Order: sequence, then C-alpha cells, then structure tokens
Amino acid sequence: MTLGSSAVAAETLEVGVDPELSDAAESSRRHGRTPGQIAWDRLKVDKVAIVCAVIVVFFILIAVLAPLLVKLEGETLNAFHPELINRRNTLPTIGTTAQHWFGVEPRTGRDLFALWAYGAQPSLTIGFLAAVSSTVVGIVMGLLAGYLGGIVDRVISWVIDFFLSLPYLLFVFALVPIVQNRVGGGRILTAEETSSLRFWVLLIILILFGWIGLARLIRGEVFSLREREFVQAAKVIGVPTRQILVKEILPNLVGPIIVSASIAVPGYIAAEATLSFLGAGLVEPTPSWGRTISVASGGNFSAYPLHLWPPVLGVALLVLALSLLGESIRDAFDPTTRR
Amino acid sequence: MFIYIARRIALGVSVLLVTLVVTFLIFFAGPADPAQSLCAENRCPAVKLEQIRTSMGLDRPISVQFAEYFQGLFVGRDITDGGNVNHCSAPCLGYSFHNHLQVSDEVFRRFPTTVALALLAMVVFLGVGVSLGVVAATRRGSAFDRTLVGVSQVFGAIPYIVVALLFALYFTVLYPILPQTHPFSDGFGPWIVGLIAPAIVLGLVTSTAYVRYTRAQMVDTLAQDYVRTARSKGISGRSVIYKHGLRAALSPVLTILGLDMAGLLSGTLITEQIFSVDGLGKLAITALIQTDDLPIIMGTVLLGCVIVVALNIVVDIAYSFVDPRVRLS
Repeated sequence: MTLGSSAVAAETLEVGVDPELSDAAESSRRHGRTPGQIAWDRLKVDKVAIVCAVIVVFFILIAVLAPLLVKLEGETLNAFHPELINRRNTLPTIGTTAQHWFGVEPRTGRDLFALWAYGAQPSLTIGFLAAVSSTVVGIVMGLLAGYLGGIVDRVISWVIDFFLSLPYLLFVFALVPIVQNRVGGGRILTAEETSSLRFWVLLIILILFGWIGLARLIRGEVFSLREREFVQAAKVIGVPTRQILVKEILPNLVGPIIVSASIAVPGYIAAEATLSFLGAGLVEPTPSWGRTISVASGGNFSAYPLHLWPPVLGVALLVLALSLLGESIRDAFDPTTRR
Repeated sequence: MFIYIARRIALGVSVLLVTLVVTFLIFFAGPADPAQSLCAENRCPAVKLEQIRTSMGLDRPISVQFAEYFQGLFVGRDITDGGNVNHCSAPCLGYSFHNHLQVSDEVFRRFPTTVALALLAMVVFLGVGVSLGVVAATRRGSAFDRTLVGVSQVFGAIPYIVVALLFALYFTVLYPILPQTHPFSDGFGPWIVGLIAPAIVLGLVTSTAYVRYTRAQMVDTLAQDYVRTARSKGISGRSVIYKHGLRAALSPVLTILGLDMAGLLSGTLITEQIFSVDGLGKLAITALIQTDDLPIIMGTVLLGCVIVVALNIVVDIAYSFVDPRVRLS
C-alpha cells in the first residue's frame, strides 16, 4: 500500500466517526491530563523558557564536547606555554588567535579556552548532582517528619531550625578542610587526589545544607495531605505506610518537587563558583570558573581583561538561564498564573 | 509581649548553646588536627606533634577542654603558649597559636565593620526594595512595573560574586569613582565612607528579591475587600496605600527578612572579600586559606551565629509590632 492511499483511508475513517463523539473523546482526553502534562504544554509555548533551555543545552554541549573542542583548537588542558609570556610583566604576548581562541593565562601561558570549556564540566556536574541528591534527602526527611509526626517530626524540625540559624557560608568554610581530612583519611595526597577529593567534599557539603528548604515544604504539604480522605481510606484498608507515602502522597507533590529541584540547580552552580572564588571550593588542577575569576580579578585585570570575561559570562549566563527556566517551570505548574 | 520576647530570646540562646557544642566537637574532636597546622615541617615528626599537643593542652580529655573553653567564654581563663601565660578575659574565644594573638581581640576588632556593612546594606535593600515594590504594585502592568520586575529578576539571578566583582573592579579600581575601603583604625570618617560602595552593591542586589516580595504582597493586599471598603469611604489614595495596604503587606516581607539573616551575613562575607573590607569574613577566609587557623575560624563561626540569632530576634520583635496576631500565638 502506498503512502497516499493510507492517508486517504485515515481521512475516510475520520469522517466516518460521529463528529459529536469525537469531540467528547477529545475533551475527555484534555481533562485527563496530569499536572505534569499541563505544565509541559505550557512550557513548550513559553518563549523565555525556550531561549533559556537553548542556552543551557549550549553549555551542556560545551561541557560534554570540551575534549573534542579543545582538540579542534589544537591544544590540551593545562599545557604550559612560557614562550607566549612576556618575561618582564608576566602578561601574555598574544590576544585571541586561531591557536588560542580566548588567549592564554598570564604567568603560566595555559590556554584559556581549554580552561573555560573544561570549567563547564564541574559546574554542571555539581549543579545537577547536588540538586538531585538534596532533593531526594529533602523528600525523605519531609515525608518522614510530616507523616510520622511526633518525636520524628520534632527532631527533624529542630534540625531544620538549627540549620536555618547557622551562618552557613562560615560553616562551609570551616567544614571544607575538616571533611576533606575525614574523607581523605589524613594521608598526604597528590595534587590530583586533593583536587578530586575536594570535588566530592564540596558536593557533600552542598547537599548537607541544601535539603532544608524542600524538607520544610514537603513537611507542610504532607501535614495537610495525610488528613485527606484518600489517605485515610488507604490507611483503613491496611495499606503499609511505605506504600501510602510512595503511592498516595508522593504523586501529589510532583509539582513542588520538580519546581524546587529546577530552582536548586542554578543555586548550586552559583555556590560552587562562589566557594571556588573564595578559595574553599575546587582546587588545581580541576578547572573551575570561580577560581579562574578569582585569579583573573587580581593585579593583571586592567592589563588583560580577556582572562576574566569568558568565565564571568559563562557562569552569569548559565546561572541566569537556569534560574529563569526554573521560574518558567514554576509558573507552568502554578494554576493561578495565566500566560 | 514581654513573655513573647523572653521566649524568643530563650530559643535563640538554646540554638547558640548547641552551636557552641557542635562547633567545638567538629573542630577539636574532629579529624582536623590543630597541632598539624602549627608544625612548620611538611611531614611533622611524631615527637614534635606530641610536644605541640601538650603545650596547647590538646592531649587532655575533650570534656575537660570543653569545660575550659566554656569557662573562658564567661569568666576568662589563662592560656599557655610556649612558656608564656596569657590571661584571656571573658568572653574568651581561645587563642590563635598561629600568630600568637587572642581570638577575641582579632574577632571583636572586626565585628563593628561586619555589623555596620550588614546594617547599611539592610537600610539600602529595605528602603529601595520596599519603596520600588510599592510603586510597582500601584502601577501594576505599566511599563515601569514590567521593566522593574524584569531587571530585578535578571540581577537577582546572576551570581552575586559576578555582579559585586565587576562593580568593584570597574568603580573602585579601574575608574575610582567610589571611595576605597579603610580599616576601623584609620578613623571613623574614612571607615564609614569606605563602606558605602560595598553596602550599595550588597543592598541593591539583595533588594531585587525584596522588590518582588513587596510587589506581590502589595498586589494581594490592594485587592482585599477592606482596602476597597476604605476607598469607598472616601479615604485618599495615598492613605489607603500606606496605612491600610503597606502595613498588612509588610509582615510577610519581614518574615522573609527574618529567614534571610544567615544569607545576609553570607553576602556580607563575600562582599568583604571582594572589596577587601577588613571584617569577619575576610578574617575567616584568610585564616582558612593561608594559615588553616582553626581557633580563628571557630571564633568567627560562633560570632557569626550570634549575629544571625540576634538579628533574628530583632526581626521577630519588629514583626510582632507590625502584626499583632503574632504576640497571641
């Protein structure tokens, strides 16, 4: 059968159905959409969300293709080029060239494009890993506190209040060397080992401080959900607690969870950049935008601003796009907004 | 009212006590060895480490060390460093064996700077945020409103270090339009003038969130029935907005402010590092990165916690004045 005749067959089939019936089927399908589907349909027509998603995908591609792009440029990460450095003032003798797309680093002569492209990797990895993990921890804590109540709730709520009144940036500063010692077992490590250890330490600390908000939110929601009839009914017919939590309560919280996770990602990326900038984050040789910004804003800034701008624009654009995307997702899930 | 304040302070004190115990355990019972960071050699010989531990009193049981630290906070204590005995008067936050200074002196010297920066920034972001939010809400849907919300969304979303750093580089270094920062010891005038630029940046960036909170709250409040009633009674537009609308809209804004104190302190620390303001944040960062000086870091953590808890209490009391229902609960 040819393509044309099948289309005709479909058309006749369509005509054959009673128009009123097909309308009814259509509308029942529309009413049957889940909140997730509604949100997705709204997101697909949101221009801001689309532009932001394109920017995010661009940076993900940069991160994934970093080795390929750097090879295309004809460079390697962390290769020193002392011949491109002016010996007297330690500034590079070149700007952007075909060989070095973003120039080279003052003093060491490392290729800045390689540092930039590879720098997107830890940013995005930490952002997404921390968001997923802290969301899971937040869900579990919130569900337990909200559903079990009593002593469990009091302990978890107290921990939440305690964390909220901590000066967390200072605490993170203090914790970085301590967690590093505990995880590293106090051995003397090579630069590579310290660097990859720091990555995990940073991730652990971000998760430690990151679950609080979602846990509070979920706890409050579960408090009201557990008194609803469908949960009471499930309880009465003897559904085990674990199943009530996962099958009855959790599906009602998908919206807030997705919104909270999507807003968390840019927060973690900014936190990684901030901590690395301040010296409590990633260390050499793992490339990091935050650390490059810190180095580039030093004495050489006015003479060689090319060092500063790519990581600044990178982190600013990526975090901005992810935040606005998060807000669009929030709006898409919010039935009171009309867009 | 009095009972409410007393209860609020009791809660704050309990949080502070727990923080004290937790930080002490993390720092002195934790895996980080304070003696290690004092040893000049890279691979410290065990004998020397033992010597340092004995001289610092780190070889005694943790409960004894904690009791001593706790005593130091309230009545002061003597600390031996090498052969010398230093009297550390209350509140004693310990002794930095690294640069042979008392932590309390180091920390309290910088305390006014950090608090002044935080308060100045708070004045900026509450003033700018609330007033712009009110104006945007009363002109809802206008070009001004939409521009303001858009701009606040963009500047609020870009990482703070980027905004602050570019501002600092371009306006205090490259084109020195705004005054440079000075330590407190240079005199009150230059000190407070130097805090203007960092306070403006921190305040303006923080205000982006408050513009949106205030606007949302005002829009909600102005749509309430009692506001319509007030209008229909012939009360002037201005009076309705400020007397009937703003007061009700402010209490949720104050809730956010209360929850935001730890964030404000973090913002202050980052700002200090970027503008090289000689405050607690810079002290902590230097202690962490250059010297691994645990007593200094612990002192700043404790003091930072005191600041957050104290500001929280102030906000809660202010809250009970704005929203009388709070006192009853």
